[in-house]
Amino acid sequence: MSEIAHQDHVEKKAFLVNSSSLKDVRNFCREVFEKLQIQEDLKDELVLAIAEAAQNIVKHAFKNNANANELMVVQISCENNKLQIAFYDRGTPVDPKKVKHREIDNVKPGGLGTFFIQEIMDAVEFKDGKKPWINHLVLTKQL
Amino acid sequence: MTYKVEEIDNKRIIHLDGEIDMDVSDKARNTILPLIEAGHEVHINLSKVEYMDSSGISVLIESKKLSEQKNTKFQLVEVSKPVEKVLAMARKFL
Repeated sequence: MSEIAHQDHVEKKAFLVNSSSLKDVRNFCREVFEKLQIQEDLKDELVLAIAEAAQNIVKHAFKNNANANELMVVQISCENNKLQIAFYDRGTPVDPKKVKHREIDNVKPGGLGTFFIQEIMDAVEFKDGKKPWINHLVLTKQL
Repeated sequence: MTYKVEEIDNKRIIHLDGEIDMDVSDKARNTILPLIEAGHEVHINLSKVEYMDSSGISVLIESKKLSEQKNTKFQLVEVSKPVEKVLAMARKFL
């Protein structure tokens, strides 16, 4: 756990659902974590986890085939040193039971992103998406 | 992501640069795999890669598997700190 008391903060941004947006998602996260004064190593890990979750939206919720103006929203909030990252999208409903990384001895590409998210974050939770959203994923990490 | 391929005899040293994510992983894949397929010994220099996600790691896994099938050498050289951290997390898959 961090010894720094991070200030409470909420920030959110919408991104087009496509692979070109992933760089923008990372840059948004880096800016917010800079404001929160999160230390460099942890910042890199958090950016990776968030980018992997955003990638899963593009790749799985929309099967790489979202409408040109389809949006996903990323909200980063910090309260009492607890970081919460929420994702909202209108893709195919996610069945949380089917979201798991592949077996370690299965040496095939793919499925690593979910493994990274689970390794880095304290909790990964799919909540009911409230209209107009369909999927609402929440990642949390105690700072 | 940009890249440069250096040729030394049968060895191909691929210098990757920038950020490797889902958006550019096909470009990386299409650069590396044909060289392995052609029977070259492939070395990937990752010293200038600032960011790599699971898509990039997947390309490395595919490359390693193909090199094993082709009985050629595949090696990572000069790995940057950000990539080393991701590789450390993914090590159990490599």
